[in-house]
Amino acid sequence: MALRQTFRANGAIKRRQERRTKRILANRTVAEALISVAGLVGRAVTSIGDIEVGRISDVVVRWSGDGYPPVTGLVVRVGRRRAYVPIEQVQSINQDGARLNSARMDLRDFNRRDDEVSLNADVVDHQLVDIDGVRVVRASDLYLALVGEEIRLVGVDVGFATLLRRLGPANRRTRPTPDRVIDWAAVQPFGTGDGSMRLASPNQALRRLRPAELADLLEELGRDERQELLRALDPEAAADALEEMEPGELRELLREMTPEDAAALLIEMEPDEAVDALREFEDEEVDALIAVMPRENAELLAQLLGYDEESAGGVMTTNLILVRPDMTVGEVRRILRSEAEHQADVDAVIIVDSDGRLIHDIGLFELLVAAKEDLVGSLDGGPDPVTVSPETSVAFVVEEFIESRGSSVVVVDSENRPIGRILADDLVDALVPERGKLRFPRFLVG
Amino acid sequence: MNTSPGVKPRRLGRWVRPTAVFAILGPGLIAANAGNDSGGIATYSSAGAQFAYKPLFLAVVITLMLIVVQEMAARVGTFGGGGIMALVREQFSLRIGAFAVFCILVANLGLVVSEFAGIGAALELFGVSRYISVPISAVILIGVVVFGSYRWAERIFLTFALAFLAYPFAMILSHPDWSEVVSNAVIPHFVGSKAFLLMAIALVGTTITPYMQLYQAAAVADSGAGPEDYPRVRTDAVGGAIIAGLIFICILIATAATIGGTGPLNSAAQAAKALEPVAGAGAEVLFGIGLLGASALAAAVVPLSTAYGLAEAVGAERSVSRRFSEAPLFLGLFAAQVVIGALVALIPVNLFALLIGMQILNGLITPIILGFLYVLSNRQSVVGDAVSSPMNKAISLLCVLVVSLLAVVVVGVTIGGWFGVV
Repeated sequence: MALRQTFRANGAIKRRQERRTKRILANRTVAEALISVAGLVGRAVTSIGDIEVGRISDVVVRWSGDGYPPVTGLVVRVGRRRAYVPIEQVQSINQDGARLNSARMDLRDFNRRDDEVSLNADVVDHQLVDIDGVRVVRASDLYLALVGEEIRLVGVDVGFATLLRRLGPANRRTRPTPDRVIDWAAVQPFGTGDGSMRLASPNQALRRLRPAELADLLEELGRDERQELLRALDPEAAADALEEMEPGELRELLREMTPEDAAALLIEMEPDEAVDALREFEDEEVDALIAVMPRENAELLAQLLGYDEESAGGVMTTNLILVRPDMTVGEVRRILRSEAEHQADVDAVIIVDSDGRLIHDIGLFELLVAAKEDLVGSLDGGPDPVTVSPETSVAFVVEEFIESRGSSVVVVDSENRPIGRILADDLVDALVPERGKLRFPRFLVG
Repeated sequence: MNTSPGVKPRRLGRWVRPTAVFAILGPGLIAANAGNDSGGIATYSSAGAQFAYKPLFLAVVITLMLIVVQEMAARVGTFGGGGIMALVREQFSLRIGAFAVFCILVANLGLVVSEFAGIGAALELFGVSRYISVPISAVILIGVVVFGSYRWAERIFLTFALAFLAYPFAMILSHPDWSEVVSNAVIPHFVGSKAFLLMAIALVGTTITPYMQLYQAAAVADSGAGPEDYPRVRTDAVGGAIIAGLIFICILIATAATIGGTGPLNSAAQAAKALEPVAGAGAEVLFGIGLLGASALAAAVVPLSTAYGLAEAVGAERSVSRRFSEAPLFLGLFAAQVVIGALVALIPVNLFALLIGMQILNGLITPIILGFLYVLSNRQSVVGDAVSSPMNKAISLLCVLVVSLLAVVVVGVTIGGWFGVV
């Protein structure tokens, strides 16, 4: 969590990119080629001979996950009915309305197919994720444009000025005013409100986001949307994101799930982060969660929960790499390679004897400069490692850190067996007070 | 992580946020009782002083309405999973949504004015002129919020506001005529006068306040409560509304028994007399402390609910969810409301009359907000299968209609008054 502030600094770059997009779209010709979806609603649909047959009520696109969704049809209000006109029957669409390519129109009822979405009903005014900008936005308007032969959804407007334009008089309301437009390729939309369509194929660009960025997004989304986003991520990425969330936010998010789903995510998380999350719950909730976990995970978490939050046991990580003194440096490096997913928690390798008792703690630097065939037991390793017991208070651990000037200390049980490690960043998290987000409901007696 | 369709997902329960001192307070209790702010105290006292026991029937009806309304808000929060303003943006056309936002802005600004009037009136009891107390408290309030030390201030204000718990004792010690209390509570005793009409709408406006519904829905959604938790959420919401209603009735009876029939109140000192059976000579001090706490608490929370609701509607949630110092938009909105509220409270009119006037304004806006809430809480795309039963629906519709009718009559009588018709 301590790293999140650094990530936010990247916002400056993104803002610059955003401004560039804005300039392109503010260009008059580009703006005129765009069709505003909000402005299209209520415009006339005419057949050959300029006879009005109805009014546009919605625009339907086919949704595939990537790229720019093509328009598949229009929902047209004819009298009191809502009829569907496939795009093949439409000769042209512009900001003033649509023209059909035949003299008459079949009155087909609108039945949305599974991969289709109604833009006006389900996307305009709803939440979206702007992946490049790493933020949650609400669509003020959507823009269509002719791409090759097809009309496609190309951008989403998130500007406040556009909202004001939509509130204005009818003739102003229809004209696109690209204010702050995001390329549709960088947008993650959500399913329809009635839950009939779910995010089948998430935008591939989501994978580029860092866990802390995903955490920010999860915290800002509404309930249904964030559960949907979480489902779209693979469990490992989801767990990484959860580790970065504020504990309070994480608790609410997990409460929204079934205990089974919540437990599955907690298992994927690093044990120390999972325990931090569990500490936020009521006792009976913790019991419910632990009850549905595999035994091994349940035991570890229960044991960690037993330590005081302000003690070494409460802040340590249990991801240790334990090796025997007769292993070669090459073998140890292989083990390290296989533990790459825990690299943030590993700054040294612990040498233990046959009883599992601590012999020494060898830093990664020393392993890097040693010859492949050296035995780890023969490495110098510097002064004896600093050890603390799990009951040691965090304040005392800090003093040990200051004295030893190391990057971590080893936590050992009463038999001198290593059970955990405290890294400097764990201490930073423990020392810096929690910076909760501001939520109106939490303001009163939060 | 998918749950198979048709199977109702089981969810983790427990939504009550444990906090050290106020562990017993669920969001429903807080939401409903936030209505007992300076405006509430002033209006209830004035109603009791002017019409004695006669508004009791109204008090019972308004309490029932409050129960219905808070239940609707809790349902929207539980099943809709979001704030009311976010849902308004998604569910209504932009223009209608903008109208809702406008109404809430006006209603809340009115409340901020009345909270500052309350602060002024409370400190006048201690001999401090409002021209000194109101500007200073506005500065302190902004400072406390900007520098993030709000938690402490909140505890202090809340403790002050506990002074009003003296009302139930005052009610008993003032030895009201219980037979008259009961007959007035069950049999309508309406007075055919414009003053009674205005008082009725002020009572509605101060008891059923938009920000209470915004808070109720947001707090429920924020706690991660879902369909499974709904029975508990509803109990909390309804329970909170009943307690708020009982306090309302206690204040009314206590005032009616001590100073009933003396005409409308125009100072906090008069209102404080209702606490004399409990506090004797200390009644003014007790009343002043309570009024100060309740007003200061609401003066911070109401502008906050406006800023939050507006951000939700515009889609700028992130700009208010940061810490205060990182949210310039939020701070600007907050400070602007406090400054405007404080300035209006400095207009040299009677503070108590201003306080009650703002509740009348609120009462005129209440039916509009109720209309939105009624539609949201009965729309399948918001609450799914939890739409009201026909009976429930009829009752809530009746509430909306009664409040609307009252508002229309008040507007009609007022406009008629200008032309000398009524």
